[in-house]
Amino acid sequence: MVHPFRRLLGDGDQTMMPVRVENIVKWLGKTLVLRGITLDFRAGEFFFLLGPSGCGKTTFLRVLAGFLFPEEGRVFFGEREVTFLPPHKRNAAMVFQHYALFPHMSVWDNVAYGLKVRKLPRHEIELRVRDALRLVRLKGFERRFPLQLSGGQQQRVALARAIAVHPDLLLLDEPLSNLDAKLRAEMRSELKELQRKLGVTTVYVTHDQKEALAMADRIAVMREGRVEQVGTPTELYRRPRSRFVAEFLGDANVWEGRIVALHSEQVSVETPFGILHCHPPDFPVREGERVWVMIRPEAVVFVSDGSQQLPNTFVARIERAVYLGEATEVVARVRDIKVKALHFRAQDGGFAHEVRLQFAPNDLVLLPREEAATVAV
Amino acid sequence: MLKGAVVYEGRFTLDFFALLLRDPQLADALKGSFGLALTSTSLTLALAIPIAYAMVRYRLPLKGVLNVVLLVPMISPPFVSAIAVRKLLARFGPINQLLIALGVVDPTNPPSWLDYPFWGIVILQVLHFLPIAYLNCVAALARIDRSLEEAAQSLGAHGFRLFRTVTLPLMMPGLFAAGSLVFILAFTDLGTPLVFNYTRVIAVQVFHRVEQALEDPTGYAMVLLVMVLSVVIFWTSKRWAERWQVQTMPRAAGETGECILPLPLAWLLFAAIFLVAFLAILPNIAVVLNAFADRWFMTILPDRWTTRYFEQLLVYSLTATAIRNSLLYSLASATLDILLGLAIAYLVVRGKAPLPQWLDGMAMLPLAIPGIVVAFGYVGAFANTPLDPRQNPVLLLIIAYAIRRLPYMVRACYAGLQQASEILEEASLNLGASPFRTFVKITLPQILPHLIAGGIMAFAFAMLEVSDSLILAFDQRYFPITKAIYALANRLEGGVQMASAMGILGMLVLGFSLVLSTRLMGRRMGEVFKV
Repeated sequence: MVHPFRRLLGDGDQTMMPVRVENIVKWLGKTLVLRGITLDFRAGEFFFLLGPSGCGKTTFLRVLAGFLFPEEGRVFFGEREVTFLPPHKRNAAMVFQHYALFPHMSVWDNVAYGLKVRKLPRHEIELRVRDALRLVRLKGFERRFPLQLSGGQQQRVALARAIAVHPDLLLLDEPLSNLDAKLRAEMRSELKELQRKLGVTTVYVTHDQKEALAMADRIAVMREGRVEQVGTPTELYRRPRSRFVAEFLGDANVWEGRIVALHSEQVSVETPFGILHCHPPDFPVREGERVWVMIRPEAVVFVSDGSQQLPNTFVARIERAVYLGEATEVVARVRDIKVKALHFRAQDGGFAHEVRLQFAPNDLVLLPREEAATVAV
Repeated sequence: MLKGAVVYEGRFTLDFFALLLRDPQLADALKGSFGLALTSTSLTLALAIPIAYAMVRYRLPLKGVLNVVLLVPMISPPFVSAIAVRKLLARFGPINQLLIALGVVDPTNPPSWLDYPFWGIVILQVLHFLPIAYLNCVAALARIDRSLEEAAQSLGAHGFRLFRTVTLPLMMPGLFAAGSLVFILAFTDLGTPLVFNYTRVIAVQVFHRVEQALEDPTGYAMVLLVMVLSVVIFWTSKRWAERWQVQTMPRAAGETGECILPLPLAWLLFAAIFLVAFLAILPNIAVVLNAFADRWFMTILPDRWTTRYFEQLLVYSLTATAIRNSLLYSLASATLDILLGLAIAYLVVRGKAPLPQWLDGMAMLPLAIPGIVVAFGYVGAFANTPLDPRQNPVLLLIIAYAIRRLPYMVRACYAGLQQASEILEEASLNLGASPFRTFVKITLPQILPHLIAGGIMAFAFAMLEVSDSLILAFDQRYFPITKAIYALANRLEGGVQMASAMGILGMLVLGFSLVLSTRLMGRRMGEVFKV
């Protein structure tokens, strides 16, 4: 496949690079930070590493960049093994959390740095720097110095500097975390667009699940040095395989349950407020097994017409309703068990004291019960 | 003093500066000082940068030992070592004896090292300033955000190119600060050239002019020139350092950032650094040997040892008086420093003073103004007044010592006050305590360790202050330790030995104080030297 840089940056004998890591184990001092990470990054993919702070995602990114060498495991760029190759021989450009722009060089010199190191001919350097700055919409800023730029502009320079070298792998370490909320939202779509245009294999580290859901082709959720689950944003959000993933990616109602009946298309689960009929889970279950039952607040249906007989419908007492603008967050109780729900249509005059809530079998997700810990998001 | 330089017979004039350049002796001294300072500074940095880089960036064997050994030369004023080294380098002195024994040198006609006083001074200055430059280089390196170097690496740079294009430019403000500090120290060093009888430097010219009580305005002009030069260099380096403040990222726990070298290479590097450090201590070792040498003539090492000179220190009137004087002056100046430092720091940190930056700037100014300028200024300003140092220099010496050490004291108090929580003070006030009671009961106990540590250092440095002491003390009755050492060194019989013994006394005081105050502040060795 021809590298899309060719189209955009007027160059290109490169191909998009798949990257593979096998069973990476990394100790930092006396802490085991990575406990065997195996991942495949497809060529041209926008891949996210998502996890709470301390889960090892940044350490893993540094292993990919070559700043750290793993104790076990291997890293491949395409067919080439790079596990112990120093950073400067990898062609994996990194955008740092605090941008790491060279304060003693102008914007132009920052972006040209990697190209000068590569000893490219002068006209080639000029072409590439100009193209990179055009791509991040910073034309006219060439002579400025980093400290004369706003946070968002610095971020773009860091990006331009990384893409100018036409990396095989682009690494982004929480690049938006230092921007204010509005700019962050803007940069999200801009980054996504740019990544799609360039088609460079990209690994993006963040703890912000919204960022990951909005931009990723695929996400790996990490926890305590392990990959908890890999999938597309929808897969992870709608079909999480653990309570941790479910709660990390968004608001969730999670209840205790016990399997009471197993059928091919349906599983009946006993919960503190009654029997729920759910879709069978991805993992094997036995009758009598204890599980978690999860449903997203926005999937909870407010049933207005009492005459209709829907499965999993319960009477709930409303405890409080908080108006959020685009929706109303409702906290209700079904026989003393708390249920969070989102109501999307404006409700003049507030809610009745009692409502009927329905949990559609398709929206209920069963999760294994091996972990007892509740993880706050 | 300023007045002395530009006002003559009631008229404003810059003639004296012209005179300065026209007088061949002075013009020569000016050139000599520049040459000396430039040479010393470049050589010092050339040694300090690679050592600092290796110590910060590589995992070396016995790093802790190296770190201590590298800092040892700081505890003696260079001119004390110079006295000992002068003896080492004598025509039939130990160095030549060693070279003769090794068969390198012709025994009938050994080289006369002291014919090259310039290089003798340079070597001593470089070895003495090395720790200061080293500490500043380490600080400059530590301030560099490592992700900048990583960014360069991920863009393909490595090795010397990485160092030249990213690391070195980012170190520049720190290096410039270190360089200018060393430059000013070398430029105004009085003791070392004096011991080597090298008169082609400004400091020695100034000294002789004061000594001969010349009412010569060129002296003022000369000192003013030195002062302006120092202040300009000092402020430039400060401004530059502030310009490149970059946010640094905390490192992940467990990542030391030290590169691991192959073992033979690491030991080789260790050996190289240790060799330099050992050379730097050599003058100090020479001082020790001198002090204990009963007979040391035409041999490599002394052939008889004695502690006689230490015993004599306390009996002999010149030395006994000097020790008593120095203790008195240093105690008084340290007390003055504690009071002034505390007051200034409190006003600045708690924002109670108008124009706090100005107050801060004033308090830091003595860093830039060499001791020789302060001392000369006092001699000029107070001549023929009740405070005339020719009559009784005690008060001026105390003030001069205090002023010289004030910046460090203020910094120590800043650190203490910034750690002491203002909320506790507010709580105390809120509970009804008066501001004074609050200060005594709440603020003071919190900053006491810093205060004591700063005071100890002020005391120790006052004991070994050179240029103020040499210039301000005229009468033997008022000699402090350093002036007594200078006086002793020029005597024939046992003078050098007693001077060395006295030097060791001073070094012990300073070394002990350094360890004590470092412990008190809970800081790492040598940080008390940083600004």
